[in-house]
Amino acid sequence: MTLQECYAALGGDYDEVLGRLRSERMIQKFVLRFLEDKSYDLLCASMESGNYEEAFRAAHTIKGVCQNLSFTLLGKSSSELSEALRNGYTPEADALVEQVKAEYQQTAQAIRAFQEATAG
Amino acid sequence: MERISDKQKILIVDDSEMNRSILADMLGDEYEILEAENGNEGVAMLQKRGSEISLVLLDIVMPELDGFGVLNIMNKNRWIEDIPVIMISAESGSTHVERAFDLGVTDFISRPFDALIVRRRVVNTVLLYAKQKKLVSLVAEQIYEKERTSSLMIDILSHIVEFRNGESGMHVRHVHILTETLLTALMRKTDKYHLTPADISVISTASALHDIGKIAIPEEILNKPGRFTPEEFAVMKSHSMVGAEMLEALPDDYRDEPLVKAAYEICRWHHERWDGKGYPDGLKEDEIPISAQMVALADVYDALTSERVYKPAYSHQRAIEMILGGECGTFNPLVMECLRDNADLIREELEGDNALRQNQREMQNVARELHKHEELTASERTLELLEHERMKYSFFAAMTEEVQFEYTVQPPMVTLTAWGAEKLGLPEITLDPLHDEKSLHRLGQENWRGLADALHATTPGHPVITYDCMLNMDGEYRWTRIVARATWSSDEPPRYTGAIGKVIDIHDSRMMMDNLERMATHDAMTGLLNHATAKKRIQERLAERPDGKFALAIIDLDHFKQANDTYGHLFGDGVLIHLAGKLRQCIRGGDIAARVGGDEFLILLECKMEVEPAIQRIFASLEGRYKEFPISVSMGVATTQEQGTNYDALFQAADQALYTVKRSGRGQYRFYDDGMEGTLSVISPIDGERPAEN
Repeated sequence: MTLQECYAALGGDYDEVLGRLRSERMIQKFVLRFLEDKSYDLLCASMESGNYEEAFRAAHTIKGVCQNLSFTLLGKSSSELSEALRNGYTPEADALVEQVKAEYQQTAQAIRAFQEATAG
Repeated sequence: MERISDKQKILIVDDSEMNRSILADMLGDEYEILEAENGNEGVAMLQKRGSEISLVLLDIVMPELDGFGVLNIMNKNRWIEDIPVIMISAESGSTHVERAFDLGVTDFISRPFDALIVRRRVVNTVLLYAKQKKLVSLVAEQIYEKERTSSLMIDILSHIVEFRNGESGMHVRHVHILTETLLTALMRKTDKYHLTPADISVISTASALHDIGKIAIPEEILNKPGRFTPEEFAVMKSHSMVGAEMLEALPDDYRDEPLVKAAYEICRWHHERWDGKGYPDGLKEDEIPISAQMVALADVYDALTSERVYKPAYSHQRAIEMILGGECGTFNPLVMECLRDNADLIREELEGDNALRQNQREMQNVARELHKHEELTASERTLELLEHERMKYSFFAAMTEEVQFEYTVQPPMVTLTAWGAEKLGLPEITLDPLHDEKSLHRLGQENWRGLADALHATTPGHPVITYDCMLNMDGEYRWTRIVARATWSSDEPPRYTGAIGKVIDIHDSRMMMDNLERMATHDAMTGLLNHATAKKRIQERLAERPDGKFALAIIDLDHFKQANDTYGHLFGDGVLIHLAGKLRQCIRGGDIAARVGGDEFLILLECKMEVEPAIQRIFASLEGRYKEFPISVSMGVATTQEQGTNYDALFQAADQALYTVKRSGRGQYRFYDDGMEGTLSVISPIDGERPAEN
C-alpha cells in the first residue's frame, strides 16, 4: 500500500497535504504518528464520564491534527462534534460521537495497513 | 542543565504533541524550539527564559490556561512588548481574531499549516523585533548622550558667570541640590503645585542659570568690596531682568523648551519675595512661580553659608535659623516648612555631594526619559546582563541539591528548583499557589498563611525571615526551616512583589536536640524521669502552688536482688519496667513519677481530699505478679502539710519512713512521723550511675 492509497482509504486529500507540507517523508512520519495521539482515547473517556469541556478540547485537537494532515473525512466529523460541544452538551453530540468513532476506526485501519506495508 | 545556544529560541504552546512536532519540523534547524503543552507551562517558560525567547507560537484552545489567558498574563507583565506572539488556531471566527490582535499578537497562522507560510511569517516577525530592539538601544544611547551634553553645556555656562563673579562654582551646584531637595519635599507634602519628578528635574537643571544676567553687569560693580550706592544697586538689581531677556531672545525653537521656560521664570523672579517686597516686578505670594520661589530660597541659604567680602560663612544650623526667623525676607510658609522638616537631609545632601551623585542624577534622568517612551523598555546591554544573570541563576539552581523557591505576586506564581520540586512532590511551577489544592495540601494551609503573613510583615529594610515548620518531604514529615527574603519594589511607597528563599532540612539536628534533651531528663530503661529532673519539676510544682496538699512517696521493690539472682538481670529489668508501667497508670496528669535508685521509685501526688486513701489505692495497685515473680513493695510517704514545701526535707522524711518500713518487715506503707528522725537512708545507686544526691 502506498501513502496515496492510504489517503484514499481514510478519506483524505493527499495532493492538498503534499502542497502544504512539501515532503513525502514528513507526511509519512506524521501519518504514522497519528495513532500515538491520545486525544481519541481522551474523547471517548470524557464523553463516557460526561466531562464535555474536556471532550470539546479533545475533539478540537483531533480536528486540528486532521486539518494539518488533510484527513478530510475525520476532520469534518470531529469539527462538527467540537462545534456541538463548544458551549457544553447538545443532543446532536451523541450521533456525531458515533460518527467520529466509526471514521476514526476507518482512519486507524488504513494507517495500520500502510504501516504493515511499509514495515514489510 | 541548560544548553547554551546561539540559535534564536521559539516557544510553541499547543496541547497537541502532533501539532507541535509539525511546526517544529517546518521551522527546521534554524531555531531552537521550546515546547509547552498548556498555557501554564507556557507562562512558566516565559517567566523562566524571558526575552531570551524570540517568538511565541500560541494555540488558543488548551486545557489549564488557554491562549487568551497566556496573552493576558503577557500583557500584565508587559512581556508582550518584547516578545512577539503569533497565534495558531483552527478558530477563524472574527471575534477571536479581533480579541487576539487587541491583546497584542503580531500575526495569525491558521490550520492547516502550510510550511512556506509558517516559515515566512516566523522569519519576518523575528527579524522585525530584532530590528526594533537594535533601534531601542540606539535611541537609549542617544538620549543618554543628549542628556550628558546638555548638562555639560549648562555647567560651562554657569561657571563662566561664577568665574566673573569671583565664586568657586560650588554655588551653582549647591543651588541645584537645594532646589531639587526642597522641590521633592514639597511634592511629597502637597499636590498644590502639580509637580512631577520630570518638572523637578527640569527646574533643578534650569536653576544653574539663575544669575546669567550678571554677565551684563560691569565688573567694578559686580566685584565691589564695599556697600553699593543706590545707583550701583539699581544696576546690580537689573541682572534678573537681563537674564530673562537673554532667554527670551533665543530663537523660537528653543523658547518653548520646558528647560528654557523654567530658566526664564527663575532668572526673572528669583529675587521676588512672598510679601511683595522683592524685585523686579514686586510679585507676591503664589504670583511668583514655584520654581523661582525655590531658587530664591536656595540662593539665600547658599549666600548665608558662604564667605563673602562683607561677612563670614554661617553654619548650616545658623543659616536655617536665620531664614526661619525671617531675617532674610519672607518666604512661602509651605516652603519654609519643607526647609525646616528637611534641614538634616539638606545638610547630608550638600556634604555628600560629589561626582558620583552627579552621575546618579544623570542616570535617573536617563531612566526617566526612557520611561516616557513606552516602547523603550531597557537598553540592549541591560537585557544582555539580565539574560546572563538568569542563565547563571538557573545553572546554579540546577546544580544545587536544595529546595529553592521564588514567589511572585504578579503573576501569582511559585517556581521551585527541579530538585526541590521533586523533594516536595510539587510541579516546578505553580500558578496561583494560594488557591492551588495540591500545593495547599502538600504544604499545609497553616504554613502557607504563616509564611505569607511573615513575608508581608517585613519591610524593605529588613526583608529576611526564618520560618520553622513540618513539611512533607519525599512523603515523610520532616522539620524544616524556611529562610526567605521578601522582594520590594523600588517605587514610592514600595510594593511587596514576592519572595525568594530556600528550605533547609533541620529534622535530624532538631530530633537530635529533642533526643539529647530526653536522654538528659529521663531514665533510659523505664522512660520515667530521672532523679535530678524529678527534683527540679517537683520544686517548680511546689513553688507554683504553695498551698496545695502534696504527698511525696518513695517506693522500694522488695526482694529485687532475689529476682535478679534467680532469674537473671534481663528478668530483673523486666520487673522494673513493669513496675514503672504500673506507676504511670496510677498517677494523674499533674503528678510526677521518677526512678530515683536501682529499685526505688518516687511519686509526687496532689491530693484534693484525704491523703491516705490515695496512697492506699496506689499501694494496692502495685501489688501483683510479674511472670513468676510476686511483686511486693515498701513505701515511705511524707506530706507537705506535715513537712512543709522544702523538697529536701520532704524527700528525707519519705526516705526515713521507707527505712522504717524496710526494717519492720517490708510489704507495707508508712507516713513519716517524728519518731523516725535520724534513721538511715535506703536509696541505692542505679547501675552505672553515681548514687543519687540527697
